[in-house]
Amino acid sequence: MDNGSIGAREQILGRLRRSLEKQETLFRKSIGRDLPDPPMTVFPSPADKSLVESFATKLVELSGSCDVLRAGTDVAEQVMRQVREWTTQSPSEPTEILSWAPNELHVPRLEQTLAGVGISLFVPEDLHDESTRARAASLEVGITGIEAAFANTGSILLSPGAGRSRAAGLLPLSHLVLVPLSRLYPTFEAWLLKLRQEGRLEALLQEGGQIAFVTGPSKSADIELTLTLGVHGPKTIHAIVFDDTE
Amino acid sequence: MTRSNSDRKRPRVAMFVTCMVDTLYPGVGMAAVELLERHGADVVFPENQTCCGQPAFNAGYRDEARRMARHFLDLFGPLVDKGEVDAIVAPSGSCVAMVKHFYEVLFEGPGHNNEQRLVALVSEVTYELTQYLVDVLGVQDVDAEYGGTITYHPCCHLLRELEVDSQPRQLLASIKGAEIVDLPAEQECCGFGGLFAIKNAGISTAMGQRKVESILQSGADAVAVGDVSCMTQMNGLLKKMGHGGRVVHVAELLNGSTPRTPERQ
Amino acid sequence: MNIDITAPYQTRVRQALADDNLRTALERAMSRLSEKRAQAVAAIDLQRMRDEARAIKEHAIKNLPELLEQLERNLIANGCQVHWAQTADEANEIVTDIARQRGVRRAVKSKSMATEEIHLNEALEDAGVKIVETDLGEYIIQLAGEPPSHITAPVIHKRAEDISALFQRELGMRPTNDPAEMCAAARKQLRSEFLEAEMGISGCNFAIAETGTICIVTNEGNGRMATSMPPVYVAVMGIEKVVPRVEDALLLWQAVARSATGQEVTVYFSVSSGPRRPGHPDGPKEMHVVLVDNGRSRILEREYADVLLCVRCGACLNACPVYREIGGHAYGKTAYSGPIGAVITPLLADDPKTAKELPFASSLCGVCREVCPVKIDLPRLLLDLRHDLTKLGTPPKYERAAIRAYSNTVEHPGRYHRLSKLARWFSRFLPTNKEGDLTRLPPPLSAWTQSRVLPRIAPRSFRALWSDRGGKDMGSSNDG
Repeated sequence: MDNGSIGAREQILGRLRRSLEKQETLFRKSIGRDLPDPPMTVFPSPADKSLVESFATKLVELSGSCDVLRAGTDVAEQVMRQVREWTTQSPSEPTEILSWAPNELHVPRLEQTLAGVGISLFVPEDLHDESTRARAASLEVGITGIEAAFANTGSILLSPGAGRSRAAGLLPLSHLVLVPLSRLYPTFEAWLLKLRQEGRLEALLQEGGQIAFVTGPSKSADIELTLTLGVHGPKTIHAIVFDDTE
Repeated sequence: MTRSNSDRKRPRVAMFVTCMVDTLYPGVGMAAVELLERHGADVVFPENQTCCGQPAFNAGYRDEARRMARHFLDLFGPLVDKGEVDAIVAPSGSCVAMVKHFYEVLFEGPGHNNEQRLVALVSEVTYELTQYLVDVLGVQDVDAEYGGTITYHPCCHLLRELEVDSQPRQLLASIKGAEIVDLPAEQECCGFGGLFAIKNAGISTAMGQRKVESILQSGADAVAVGDVSCMTQMNGLLKKMGHGGRVVHVAELLNGSTPRTPERQ
Repeated sequence: MNIDITAPYQTRVRQALADDNLRTALERAMSRLSEKRAQAVAAIDLQRMRDEARAIKEHAIKNLPELLEQLERNLIANGCQVHWAQTADEANEIVTDIARQRGVRRAVKSKSMATEEIHLNEALEDAGVKIVETDLGEYIIQLAGEPPSHITAPVIHKRAEDISALFQRELGMRPTNDPAEMCAAARKQLRSEFLEAEMGISGCNFAIAETGTICIVTNEGNGRMATSMPPVYVAVMGIEKVVPRVEDALLLWQAVARSATGQEVTVYFSVSSGPRRPGHPDGPKEMHVVLVDNGRSRILEREYADVLLCVRCGACLNACPVYREIGGHAYGKTAYSGPIGAVITPLLADDPKTAKELPFASSLCGVCREVCPVKIDLPRLLLDLRHDLTKLGTPPKYERAAIRAYSNTVEHPGRYHRLSKLARWFSRFLPTNKEGDLTRLPPPLSAWTQSRVLPRIAPRSFRALWSDRGGKDMGSSNDG
């Protein structure tokens, strides 16, 4: 902070304090209650459906798609099939996709399975490097894991870290998101509550730089309220939910 | 002489007829009186009543509005205070909203103790006509007839300031021979808005024309409203556009005093 | 755009009412928006949502100084640089200084009302920085050289045909009215801007005090792009945006989404607490937060704290029958239009007489209050501002004289009766149609009769009919 800014800070806070002290009633008609406690939100919880079912249903409603794998299914195979469906190259040509580091995706033998059909993972280390950025920006498919997913809204939460680029879920037109069942929560509140109980909330927010809730593909309705997908972020989002609890 | 409310078999109502009804639509006032009497109330008319002050208040002239409000309170306050009347009833949602909600704004702060007391006293027992008929007198059926289609336009202050909506609809539905039809986009404002209709005549007219289109689309023979001000706006436009005025005050329909399609035959 | 936003109010309104394309565009968009909101709020306990949202914002404004200090502390602990600005000029100077010191030539911006309010784009351009709006709607109007006409749907005033013509001219797009193709054209153009910009700028929907966090709500992903790709990230926030807890931001996010567009949540909710950490592959290398007052503390001083509760969802615009007739540009040179704009524009201004017509541009129908997720009593605030303005003497003199004369009359029943009689007599000499309605009145009442007729004063008043009937009178001892 420079000196001028310190002056502004004191001026602003001073003015606010003086006005607040002076006014007995602040609002025309106060709601007359303090912060909601416990903090609650307004979503109805998914009652009749299982978490997985309601997550999948929501995502489809949002123009996304979702595979729910039975326990024992080969996740890596499923990823491979989905990527092949998206990429324009013929199977014989090598394909590169933007990805989180394999150890962040929690899918056994992923790299090997994909390599078997000529698909390789590009895990960028520093996207401020011009050539890395250009290479990342040219790729059609991105693969990420998640920090958490929410059945109620079909949302995922992405948190950054070493090997976990924001770009992988943002730059490519197609986003493949791997959702381990253990990270699927019914609601934002349920997740927040758990995080608070475990004392992890502040760490997640403050040590991470930016976390992002993503709910379906990028969209806009700016032109006459007509829905268009893939404005800046992915046009397609496909989730693979797999059982990691065994 | 002070009589307590319980001495009377029938509730006694002081009619606040409003300045617009008094000068432009006296028939609406008479219909309201007859309705109240027929359904079990005695009606008195404090003749020194004038205007509630709403036009001045809405235009931002609070000192002037306060003087008018004081006149209202000086007239009606003692009647309520001494128990000479049980309620004040007006055939207007917006004038009732003025008394019930905005008088307290006019007399905020210290130095208005007497007025604040009167406002509390008066606003407690002030009702819009259909609200009083249904909520207090318990009227369910008005025993009126109308041979045509009726639709209802909820006037903004009645709907959103007083939250009176089911009452007029319930009473209209009890009219024999009438078919109730939907008004498209019924909750949209007609564009009257007091001095707004003059100061922003272009916008007011555009809003009103939309309402006119809805009215024509509804195909109703009569459009019932709870405020003569909105009625003036809608009929004013309908007639200018050559469609014939068909907006009537709800009291006239409920009292059976509206001939079928009065101006379109 | 056929409205000159610098023209006098009545001219702007006239231009808007005469603009058929504007009215078509508004017609197409607004009914959809209102319908979608209605569906979204019908699915939940709306009153609970509004009560909780309101409680959070009330708490935040009541504890504003402490929350801002807590926010600042945590932002700094997270590695952000915090700046305070009292005025628009100070805020613009802070941002342009950051740009200058880092040699920034290109910047991308995510949609933000605060930066619109302070005219940051002009300031950056004057400082030699090319600034590109990245929200599709904002991008379109930047290309067209127009200001936004809506808080959340900035290009609501344009039809698809108008946008297509603009893209054909400016981007060389092939002729089409397909929004998907137009969108693709913009994506291509903007993608390179994101990758090349040295600075990303955003506003702030909510700032979380307990963690030192800036939250951005978008659907397109431009917010996430602008706050992730460029090496420098600057968030510009109005000081009223702070909330205490993480849960509060999540609740308000949902309230805004449902109210603004009828969504359960928006596609992106980007929650930034600082620059990228060592070892992270992307994210800004530095993050700045500019806390902007620009009239907000004065709004509190003027006892209009209610306005500071606003979460800028635009629901009051979408529901407003006046906005629907004239759109946002008719509200003049202001970032905020519709009911909230009619309140906030004069309050943010240094001179309280600025935008003096706006508080009167409402029929007080109250639908804005009904849809507001934080229950701001907008009609009441409009009434209070009208009162302030009449005290300052802004309405025409004849109006005050007429209202005075009217109240002098009304106070005295005798005078009132005489006036009614006089008016009845006088109205006999005015032109009527064959049904007897008045068709032409002298100014200023001619504004009524231009489009409407007015019934004549009734031949017999209610009180006359009443006394014919021998009805009871009461309380008539104080005639004047």
